[in-house]
Amino acid sequence: MSDQFHEQDAGVDELLAVLGYKVKSSDMADVAQKIEHLEGVFGNDDGLSQIASDSVHHNPSDLSSWLESMICELNPIVPVPVSQPFVSGVNYTGVDCVDDLQAMIYPPTKKPKPSSPSTSAGSHTPNPIVLVDSQENGIRLVHTLMACADAVQQDDVKRAETLVKQAGLLAVSQAGAMRKVATYFAEALARRIYRLYPKSPQDSPAFRDLLQMHFYETCPYLKFAHFTANQAILEAFAGKKKVHVIDFSMKQGMQWPALMQALALRPGGPPTFRLTGIGPPLDDNTDHLQEVGWKLAQLADRILVEFEFRGFLAESLADLEPGMLDLREGEVVAVNSVFEMHELLARPGAVEKVLSAVKEMKPEILTVVEQEANHNGPVFLERFTESLHYYSTLFDSLESSGDGSGVMEGGGVTVSSQDKIMSEVYLGKQICNVVACEGVDRVERHQTLSQWKAQFESVGFQPVHLGSNAYKQASMLLALFAGGDGYRVEENDGCLMLGWHTRPLITTSAWKLR
Amino acid sequence: MAGSNEINANEAKKVVPLHTWILISNFKLAYNILRRPDGTFNRELAEFLDRKVAANTVPVDGVYSFDIVDRATSLLNRIYRCAPPDTDSGRQPGAGILELENPLSTTEIVPVIIFFHGGSFTHSSANSAIYDTFCRRLTALINGVVVSVNYRRSPEHRYPCAYEDGWEALKWVHSRSWLLSGKNPKVHVYLAGDSSGGNIAHHVAVRAAESGVEVLGNILLHPLFGGEERKESENKLDGKYFVRVQDRDWYWRAFLPEGEDRDHPACNIFGPHGIDLKGVKFPKSLVVVAGLDLVQDWQLAYVRGLEEAEQQVKLLFLKKATIGFYFLPNNEHFYTLMDEIKSFVTS
Repeated sequence: MSDQFHEQDAGVDELLAVLGYKVKSSDMADVAQKIEHLEGVFGNDDGLSQIASDSVHHNPSDLSSWLESMICELNPIVPVPVSQPFVSGVNYTGVDCVDDLQAMIYPPTKKPKPSSPSTSAGSHTPNPIVLVDSQENGIRLVHTLMACADAVQQDDVKRAETLVKQAGLLAVSQAGAMRKVATYFAEALARRIYRLYPKSPQDSPAFRDLLQMHFYETCPYLKFAHFTANQAILEAFAGKKKVHVIDFSMKQGMQWPALMQALALRPGGPPTFRLTGIGPPLDDNTDHLQEVGWKLAQLADRILVEFEFRGFLAESLADLEPGMLDLREGEVVAVNSVFEMHELLARPGAVEKVLSAVKEMKPEILTVVEQEANHNGPVFLERFTESLHYYSTLFDSLESSGDGSGVMEGGGVTVSSQDKIMSEVYLGKQICNVVACEGVDRVERHQTLSQWKAQFESVGFQPVHLGSNAYKQASMLLALFAGGDGYRVEENDGCLMLGWHTRPLITTSAWKLR
Repeated sequence: MAGSNEINANEAKKVVPLHTWILISNFKLAYNILRRPDGTFNRELAEFLDRKVAANTVPVDGVYSFDIVDRATSLLNRIYRCAPPDTDSGRQPGAGILELENPLSTTEIVPVIIFFHGGSFTHSSANSAIYDTFCRRLTALINGVVVSVNYRRSPEHRYPCAYEDGWEALKWVHSRSWLLSGKNPKVHVYLAGDSSGGNIAHHVAVRAAESGVEVLGNILLHPLFGGEERKESENKLDGKYFVRVQDRDWYWRAFLPEGEDRDHPACNIFGPHGIDLKGVKFPKSLVVVAGLDLVQDWQLAYVRGLEEAEQQVKLLFLKKATIGFYFLPNNEHFYTLMDEIKSFVTS
C-alpha cells in the first residue's frame, strides 16, 4: 500500500525511522544540539525533571518538536540561551554524519543495509496477530477458514463448499472465543458461497443501537472512544462561552453526559452547550432522537448547563447539507464521528462530500474514532485474513471481560452474560457484512489511521495531537473499567489507540482545518 | 554540574556515530524524566513515550512475527520466524497462516533463542521498536526462531517476578511442538538478553540447570550485575558514556526487594551471597562487554566467576563500544557481535 510512504516521509532519516522516530536528515544536527542543551539544563536538577515529568507531552516520534516543547517549557525557569555554541569541535553535517575523527575510530567496515520495513513490505498491509494460547489448538480451524476463503477468491465453489462444512465441524469442537468467531466467519463464508446475502440494511437502527449499548457495557472500546474524543473536544472548547457539538453518531447519546458534566465543572462555569444529533430514521417513524435529546436536557437541567438539542434524521451522512444545521455566530463547533466514517466508503465520493460539508461547518475540531484495521482492500482474501485476526482479537478481549457470573476481578463493573452475548451478536453482524456483502451493502469498510490520515490531509485537515494527559487518563479509565486485563493504550503519530495486548483495535484522532 | 555534562556529552560524541548518540541520549533524557527521586516511576508517561511496533505476519526482510498470550498469566511472548525462502510475493503463505502444526524441521537443527529485552528491569517491552528491530535481525542472522519475552517490570513487579516469567517462558518454549527440530526432535534453546535481560538469562539458566531443563547456551549482552562495592570502572566512567552510577543504583533499588542491598544474589552473582556453580550443568556462555560501560568490572568479575566454577565461557570485549551499540547497524561492533552470536549458536 503506497500509504506507507507519504510525501512528508521524504527526507526522514531511515535508521531512526525503523526505531519509531521521525527525524528529517537535515534536522539531525539540530536535534543533537537540542538534546545537549536539555542535558545541560537538567544536569543533576531533579526539580526540573519533575516539572518535565508532570507536563504534557505530544507526539514523541517527532523528536525535534518534542525536544523543542521541553526547551520552551523549561526556558522561563532556566536563564540559559536556547542555542548553545557547539563546544565539541566535532562538526556534524546533516546528511553525512561520519566526520574525520569518527572515521579514524570507526572505519565503516560494512555498509548498513537499507532496512525500512515500510518499503520492503511491498504492497501488503501489515498483519498484526495476537494469539491466545487456546488458539494454538485451533490453528487447524484457522487454516481451514483461510483455505475456504482462498477457494472463494479463486471461484472454486466445490472446494469452498467442502471447506466451509469442515470449518463448521471443527468450530464446534473448539472452546470459547475461537469457537464463536470461527462460527461467525464460517456462516458469513457460507452466505457468500450460497449467495444468501443478508438483506440490507441487516437490522433496524433500533436493534443496532441496542446491540451497541450492550457492547458499550461489556468492554471498554466504546467508553474509550467517547472518553478520548471528549478529551479533545474539551481542550478545543477551553475558554469558549458558546459551544456546539455536531454528532454524526448520535445513537442513544451515550457520549454526552460525561462531556456535559465536565463542562459543568469547568472553572469559570459551563458554556452554553448546543448539541445537534444526526441519525438514521427508524422504521416506525418515531422521532427517537428527540427522546434522546429530552433525556440529555433533563441531565443538563440538573447540572445547571444551558442546553439546546436538535435532532436530524438522515439515511446517510452524505445527505447532510450544512445549511440545514442552524450554525450560529460566535459559537465554537466540534464535529464528532464515532464508527461512522467508514460506512461512507461504500459510496464513491461520499467521504469527500461529508468532509466538504464538515469544512463548511468551520469546526474548531473534528474528532474521529474508527476501527484500526484494513477491511476495505480490493482483494477478498486479504480482507478476510485481516478481519479474521481483528475479530479474533476482539472476541478474545471480550472473553476476558469476566465469565458473566458477576463481578469482574480487579474492577468494579459487572458484566452480565446478556451483555456479552449481545456484544458478540453486534460484532458478528460486522463480520457478516465484511465477508458476505459487496458494493453499497458492504458498509463495514474499516481503514487504518494512515489511510484516514491521507484522506483527511488531502482535503485540508491537519492533526490535533492528543497528549500524554489524555493518554494517562485513558489508561486510568481502562484500569477502572477493565481491570487492565490486557487492554493497552498506545500513542501513535499524535493519536491514541486502544488495543488488546500488542494489537491496536480502535483509534481516536482529532483534526482541525489548516 | 552543567559544565561537566557538556564535557561528558562531548566524550560520548567522539566515540559513537551521530545516530547512536542521538538515540541513546534521547533515552537517557527521557529516562531521567521518568525516574522519580522517591523511587517511584512515571509508568504512564513511559508507555506514552515508548515507540512500539505491532507484530506482523507479513514477512519483512524475510522475517515475520506474531504474539502469543497466556491467558492465565497475561504473559506475552513475541515469536519471530524466517519466512520460507520460496515465498511467492504474489500470494503469501506466511501472511495470516501460522505454521503451528509442524516442527521447525525434521532433519536440520534450528536454534531457538529466548530473548529478554533490556531496560534495567524497568523500561521497554517486547514490542518496543528498538527490541523488535533487534530481534528481527537476530532471527535472520541465526536463521532460526527468536522468542522475545514480555516479562513484568519493576518497580511495580520486583524480584523475582522477571525471573519467574523467564522460567515460565523457558518451560513454555520447551513444550511447543512447533519449535522442535532435528533428527532426534527437541527444542534447541538458547537464552539471550541485553542489560537486565542478560541478568535474567543468567538466573533462568541457573534454575534450568537445577531443574534438569536443557539450555544449550547463554548470550549475555552487557548484562546488568553489580554489588555494594564501587569498582574502578564505575568510578572512572561515571557519567561519561550516557550512564551514571546513581542511575544504576536507582534501578537496583527499584528491582531488589525493599531493604535489600546490591550484594543480594540477584545482583552480585559471585558475591557474598552468591551460589557455587561448580559441578552445575550450566550452559556455555558468551558474555559481551562494552569497554565504555561503567558496569564492565562487574561483568568481568562474572566471567571470572564462571571460569573459576569451571564453566565454559567466552568473553567478547569490545573496547570502544558503549551501551546500546547493537541497536543500529552503523558501527563495526555491531557486525562483530553478529558474527560471534552466529558462530555461538551453530557450533
